[in-house]
Amino acid sequence: MLSLQNLMMSFAGKQVLKGIDLDVYQGQIIGYIGPNGAGKSTTLKIMLGLIEGYNGTVELFGQNIRTDGHTYKRRIGYVPENAEIYDNLTACEYLTFLGELYGLEQAVAERKAEELMTAFGMEDVFHSRISSFSKGMKQKTLIISSLLHDPDLIFLDEPLNGLDANSVMVIKDVLDKLAAKGKTIFYSSHIMDVVEKISNRIVLLVDGKIAADGSFEELKAESKQGSLEGIFKGLTGFEAHAHTADNVVRIVMDGDEGE
Amino acid sequence: MKVNNFRSLKLLDFFQPIFRALNIDYPLMRKMVAMKLLMDQRRVPSILSQNMGKPKKAGNQFLKSLFIYVFYGLALVPFLFLGENYMFQISIMFGIMMFILMTTMISDFSSVLLDVRDKTILHTKPVSSRTISAAKLVHITIYLATITGAFILIPSAVMIAVQGIAYFLLFLAEVMLLILFILALTALTYIFILRFFSGEKLKDIINYVQIALSLGIVIGYQIVARVFDVVDLTFTYEFSWWHAFIPPMWFGAPFEMLFNQQYTSVIIIFSLLAVAAPVLSIYVYYRLMPSFERNLQKLLEEETKNKRKKRLLSTFWEKLVCRSREERFFYRFSTLMLSRERDLKLKVYPTLGLAVIFPFVFLFNQLSFGTYEELVQGQSYLNIYWSNIIIGIVVYMLQFSNSYKGAWIFETTDMDDKSLFYSAALKGFLMTYYLPIFLTLSIIFTIVFSSRIIPDLLVVFLSTVLHTLIAYKVVNDGRIPFSKPFESVQQGGSSMKTFLLMIVAGIFAGIHYAITQLDFGVYVYLALLLIMTPLLWKIVFKEKATMKV
Repeated sequence: MLSLQNLMMSFAGKQVLKGIDLDVYQGQIIGYIGPNGAGKSTTLKIMLGLIEGYNGTVELFGQNIRTDGHTYKRRIGYVPENAEIYDNLTACEYLTFLGELYGLEQAVAERKAEELMTAFGMEDVFHSRISSFSKGMKQKTLIISSLLHDPDLIFLDEPLNGLDANSVMVIKDVLDKLAAKGKTIFYSSHIMDVVEKISNRIVLLVDGKIAADGSFEELKAESKQGSLEGIFKGLTGFEAHAHTADNVVRIVMDGDEGE
Repeated sequence: MKVNNFRSLKLLDFFQPIFRALNIDYPLMRKMVAMKLLMDQRRVPSILSQNMGKPKKAGNQFLKSLFIYVFYGLALVPFLFLGENYMFQISIMFGIMMFILMTTMISDFSSVLLDVRDKTILHTKPVSSRTISAAKLVHITIYLATITGAFILIPSAVMIAVQGIAYFLLFLAEVMLLILFILALTALTYIFILRFFSGEKLKDIINYVQIALSLGIVIGYQIVARVFDVVDLTFTYEFSWWHAFIPPMWFGAPFEMLFNQQYTSVIIIFSLLAVAAPVLSIYVYYRLMPSFERNLQKLLEEETKNKRKKRLLSTFWEKLVCRSREERFFYRFSTLMLSRERDLKLKVYPTLGLAVIFPFVFLFNQLSFGTYEELVQGQSYLNIYWSNIIIGIVVYMLQFSNSYKGAWIFETTDMDDKSLFYSAALKGFLMTYYLPIFLTLSIIFTIVFSSRIIPDLLVVFLSTVLHTLIAYKVVNDGRIPFSKPFESVQQGGSSMKTFLLMIVAGIFAGIHYAITQLDFGVYVYLALLLIMTPLLWKIVFKEKATMKV
């Protein structure tokens, strides 16, 4: 389904990815986690063809993305991290447009978009401009846009940003059911407890390398600590957060000494 | 959806076979262009415009700026009455057109050409990057063609009456070639730079290239005018080999060939160039397009630098220029915005480049009417006012920013006197943008005209401050600076107001000239300005404690 071999990438002399080997199979929900700057988004962007100039091999659906052209993107759905969206279009216009880019007929795309909007309880804003949406609504629109064309592989970069607890549960169930139907989901996040609940396989990326790979139970057994956050801390050496919090509060309280 | 109903797209369908031949997915490209056009129509974004009081009709702004181009077009008309001096009249007309179109292209459409925001949305879809680039190109071409259409509207009517329909048709064909040529030329320049530089540095270089390009065009235009021997009013044309490097000259040749039956080898070569160069440059661009898009990614790369710049000197200026603490910190903020905000610089720098070059252009023009000695003795230093014609545009641009959403901080501060924001922003403009230009010009002018003009230069500076104040009153009275997105800038840049503000520079120059005719007039005027300017500044920024938001 998805295969990375010795993937390396560097920006301006700084090596961001230091040789990643990963094979993902159909029906898996991969939680791709790691601290900020570990190279999660870079990996996703390489697989989407947004960044070139990497070393190593990337194969999606058995196609080498460097040599086999752009057609593989038709089977991919993508929710970008920072909610890039043409927000002076209406949801209807935007979703139909994206559906058409994925090769759907305009009427089909529009019908499907409307149905999905309705399913998410947003039917009354279907013809409103996205710029008037709340953060959660925008995020749901983005998620819809990534699912319209029934992709086989779904890339999600922090997909639950700004969603309320209810919606998070809905999305989680949707992902579970899609995976059960044979879709593969590649989920990148740094929020531990969500990844723990959704994923059936967790890949932990630290400093451009895979630090751990396995189910939550396996990772737990490995580190003998309770929650995934614990594992995460153990693996990344980030144990000082209580201290950090104290430090922040101390600085805040001294704030009135400034100019 | 009424997305597919743009008239320009119907016209585009006509060229469909060409796109298909170039391996471009036409239906997809058409959809992307339609989306872009639709978004352009809705340029005023809702978030801020909700508080803006009166919502503007967005579509009209572009039409309004078109009107200005129609007006500019009048400049071409006199050349149509030069009889059968085709080489001269056509070269001059194409020179003017190249100048107008190229500056528009650089200042207004560079951001479209170098847009990287599309990347996440479009490049992740199963569309070839060639098709995406083509959509981008078509999008720009539609605007460029509309502007050109407005520009040649009046000349065309006159042309048909004076020179006949065949002449007009040839002209029209050449104009189309010119549009392609300008597009490709600009894009190729960027491709060249993008290939050799990377990251942050690149964005700065782009700014400098823009300045260089706009200066190059002005100087080039001067050269075109000088190629012809205008003095004896016969406009005789003598060929030199380097004329082959002046594009407007190529376009004159086909007219000479077809209507004057001139078949010299020079004319034939130029005619061939007029057709071949645009086609070839577009072809090269088409070949390089994929690598261009790839290199655009460089613009997204962020370099993490953590150096704190020393601000000792600027702290000194801060204290000098601003009275209150509040105004001072906003001044600091403004100068940072003005020197760092890339999109703002992208739009403003080419204009600033013109401010440097214009005084010299007109100085040299006067030189051709008299001797250097006469020039140095006279009042020609008043040409320095030419640099002030940019004030209106730049002050207008101050209300925009890429990070316009950050402007909420001004709403939530507890300062009651919000006019300070603008006062500080204007001071920021004068200090960071205008003063360096003015000082450079002043030094050169003092060397040329001797130190006798120093009082005059002081007068110029004070009038500039006053001019800036007037510009503020006229253009963005009472709005918070850096609070609107660039999308709400009218494509085409200038409006009637900024145009009128150019004339203000002329009025100041006129007053100044009249004053120099009186003994000691300059000193009296200087004293008057010294009192008036700070006083008016205070009045303008005091009278409204509350702002129209």
